Amino acid sequence: MEQILFYAFALLAIGSALLVINLKNTARALFLFFITLFAMAGLFLFALADFVAIVQVMVYVGGVLILMIFAFMLSNKELLTDLQSISSRFIAIPNWQSMLVTLGFLAVLIYSIVEWKDQTPDWIVNNINTNNIIAATDNNIEQLGIKFMTQYILPFEIISIFLLMALIGAAHLSRKEENR
Amino acid sequence: MISITHFLIVSACIFCCGLYAVLAKRNAIMILIGIELMINAAILNFVAFGRYDKSNYGGQIFALFAIVLAAAAVAVGLAIILAVYRHYKTINPDNITDLRD
Amino acid sequence: MGELLHISPILASILVMLLPLFAFIIQASLGEKATSGNISLIAILISFILSATIVLPGIWNKPPQYNTYDWFTIGTKTFTIGILLNNLTVLMQLVVCLIAVPVHIYSRAYMKGDPGIARYWTFLSLFCFAMLGLTISKNLLMLYIFWELVGFASYLLIGFWYTRDAATAANKKAFIINRVGDIGFLIGIACLYSLFGTLDIIEILGEGGLFSQGIVDQQSSLMTLAGLGFFLGAMAKSAQFPLHIWLPDAMEGPTSVSSLIHAATMVAAGVFLLSTLFPLFNDTVLLFIAIIGTITALMAAYFALEQHDIKKVLAYSTISQLGYMMVAIGIGAWDAAMFHLTTHAFFKCLLFLGAGAVIHEMNTIKKHDCQTIDPQDLRNMGGLRKYMPKTFILMSIASFALAGFPLTSGFLSKDAIIISSFEWAIHQGGLYHIIPIVLVVVSILTAFYIGRLIFKTFFGELRINTTANSLLHEAPKTMLWPMFFLGIGCLFFCFSPSPISYHLAPILDGFSVTYSFSEVHSLHIIIPVTLTLTALISWWIAYRWYVLDQHPVHSYNLDIEQNSNRKVAVFDFIPYHLANSLIIFSRWNYHFDKYIIDGSVNAIVKFTLRTSQIASWIDTYIVDAIVIGISNLSKRIANFSAWFDKYIIDGLVNTIAQTTYYFGHLLRWVQNGRLQNYLGFALTMVLIGIIYLILR
Repeated sequence: MEQILFYAFALLAIGSALLVINLKNTARALFLFFITLFAMAGLFLFALADFVAIVQVMVYVGGVLILMIFAFMLSNKELLTDLQSISSRFIAIPNWQSMLVTLGFLAVLIYSIVEWKDQTPDWIVNNINTNNIIAATDNNIEQLGIKFMTQYILPFEIISIFLLMALIGAAHLSRKEENR
Repeated sequence: MISITHFLIVSACIFCCGLYAVLAKRNAIMILIGIELMINAAILNFVAFGRYDKSNYGGQIFALFAIVLAAAAVAVGLAIILAVYRHYKTINPDNITDLRD
Repeated sequence: MGELLHISPILASILVMLLPLFAFIIQASLGEKATSGNISLIAILISFILSATIVLPGIWNKPPQYNTYDWFTIGTKTFTIGILLNNLTVLMQLVVCLIAVPVHIYSRAYMKGDPGIARYWTFLSLFCFAMLGLTISKNLLMLYIFWELVGFASYLLIGFWYTRDAATAANKKAFIINRVGDIGFLIGIACLYSLFGTLDIIEILGEGGLFSQGIVDQQSSLMTLAGLGFFLGAMAKSAQFPLHIWLPDAMEGPTSVSSLIHAATMVAAGVFLLSTLFPLFNDTVLLFIAIIGTITALMAAYFALEQHDIKKVLAYSTISQLGYMMVAIGIGAWDAAMFHLTTHAFFKCLLFLGAGAVIHEMNTIKKHDCQTIDPQDLRNMGGLRKYMPKTFILMSIASFALAGFPLTSGFLSKDAIIISSFEWAIHQGGLYHIIPIVLVVVSILTAFYIGRLIFKTFFGELRINTTANSLLHEAPKTMLWPMFFLGIGCLFFCFSPSPISYHLAPILDGFSVTYSFSEVHSLHIIIPVTLTLTALISWWIAYRWYVLDQHPVHSYNLDIEQNSNRKVAVFDFIPYHLANSLIIFSRWNYHFDKYIIDGSVNAIVKFTLRTSQIASWIDTYIVDAIVIGISNLSKRIANFSAWFDKYIIDGLVNTIAQTTYYFGHLLRWVQNGRLQNYLGFALTMVLIGIIYLILR
């Protein structure tokens, strides 16, 4: 059952991702991107990362995507037509080079994953042997909270400053400049 | 229990989809989506490996960090797209060739 | 009644505190529309009824009650807030309610027609909430918050007529000087926290509390620092020398505000604080308090002698009386201080309300005649007895109480303080006698200046020419009734069954303080008699000077002009010199206060400004000059090197570049400026690299 669900989610994610990159209509692509993200969140659940999955749904689906759709819808008419008129063909001819590069990358990645499978790193082997892996019954959220506030406090603070910087920067960039 | 290889392969596929979008799309917003797909693939790797690291929870922690970073990247990216559009009146990266000599 | 309604005193006292807050919120949300003040009035009236019928009977002379609620936790330390009800706090709460109710009623008439009246009610309710909260706080941190709120409300009300420059200057002054005191309070709190690890008054001072367990040496320097810190806070709030300078200026606010905040309640908060924390103070701190109190009482009484503004006389009188209370705390008789606080609240509030009524009438003259007189100037008044007899009688009662005549409440409480201080001085011996003697002198001065105020205002003839005589009339009923109520509160039977002995006063019984000194019976007869006699004499002198116009300075001037018309009687001779020197000294003192103390505050500000100017000059002409010199120098060097660069190095480079250019041109098509192409090239190279690594 678990396997079937996993494959279903994986197929959903990969399939919708392929559709996203191949649709010519940007608005449809944006909405399909929703499905990809939901499917990814489902995959996170199989890696026993329930909190990350919820954050994914909240931040991506609730924040990022809404932001994109807003940007898409609030932009003026010229931009909209500009967006719609692009990519009129299903697979554009000048894209064969990028397709080649992408497939090459996929081949290399899959090859290296298959190769890597036979030589699992020591720490994973050790943790599996000592049964020190996350179980489905663990309370992830509590552990994450403790880790955030103790071991990872410095990166946590840095990332919050970074987020603030990004927000201010975004606001600065997108404001109307009068005296250009 | 799903083995880690499955996760890695799924994430490789998603990553390549993102890569293709970044390289091939003629629309800045779609390029941004491609970047998001790549980051999501990376997050999937994080959580897949993080499962074997109960003592540090490093995978999930950094997955969360990556989500935050991606959110910031989108905010800034969209702002940049708007600014670029205001300047060049287009968001097709093909038409923006100021980096040329 | 408490049993009937099943309301516990704790709940009732919380209600007492919160009702004005609700009134404040409602008033604030109604905005400009709520001009009648009914909401504030009803809230404070219910507070008063609750306080008088449930809280006071439920607590007075019964074991104290308290309730504690957790507020927040930092680390392992939990901060609490709570309600503390004992004799002291319920008395203070009742006094605040009792004074606030008549002032609210009075304000309805006094502030009628003022454009900002909605704001007035809002601020007044805020003040009442803060003051009532201050009285029943169990935790010092909570007390501190309310202490700040009280100061803030006072700031708002002093600057109520914010279009006047003087008012905004006065409220800023009051605010800043109170901040100085608050620093002291905060230091005190910090010291206590470091010593006891808690700020709960009951946990520190209660029965079996941390303090009585003796874990802290009371004589330690940290305890002295804490005591001095708290006293500094009380000094600013209760206008003690040298932080008293804000109170006379605070009279810029409406008179009803002055009566409630700057005479009866808020300025007494310092005394209340010291009484609450009394066991904490060691001998050093207490002696310091007593000395400061004495200095304040004496100086303020002197300043009051030659003031012409009726409200400033009362303001200095308030400072002087607060000095009395501080002395009482300093000698350990804080029950006497609280007793005097209570009686003083009544008669000083009444005096202010009466002064308000007088100012009201003077304003009528001002408006009618379009004169540019100052309606608060005593020199313009006189003869008002004929026009407003009831106000005259009520103010006379209040001034009798202030001067300490028998049958009034002031007689009892003032005697309590002075007799205790004499007993204390006898117990201590030596130089300590200065304090009670000064207090007696202050008492004489007090009688004199308040007599002067009454005589100048109500006797004789109006000193300005006006045709508005027919317009002068008694204050309206809504102003008279509160004054009448307060006037009853100035009489002895409200506080003690016996008109001459303060020992029977239930307020003193309620605190049952054990004095460090023994009672001296003979003093209990000598002192009251002396005080009464001296007060009578000073009233008589004031009467001669200001009503019969036999002012020695005045008559002396007349002598020079009219040489023989008026003879200086022999017995006028001694009072003449005495009075002359007294008045000169008072003027000098006032100038000292105004120019030296205020001046020193200004001087510090000016000094800071001047220093910053100097620093800015140095910055502009020395530091900047060096920087500019260096930059000029480097510009020269740069120019030279630019030339060198252009013709010698570039010449060399250009030839190389020219050759490179041809090669570069060949690869130029790669650099087409498209980001995606760049990315694609880069990734292709990475791919090739990885494939190479795999195949190797």
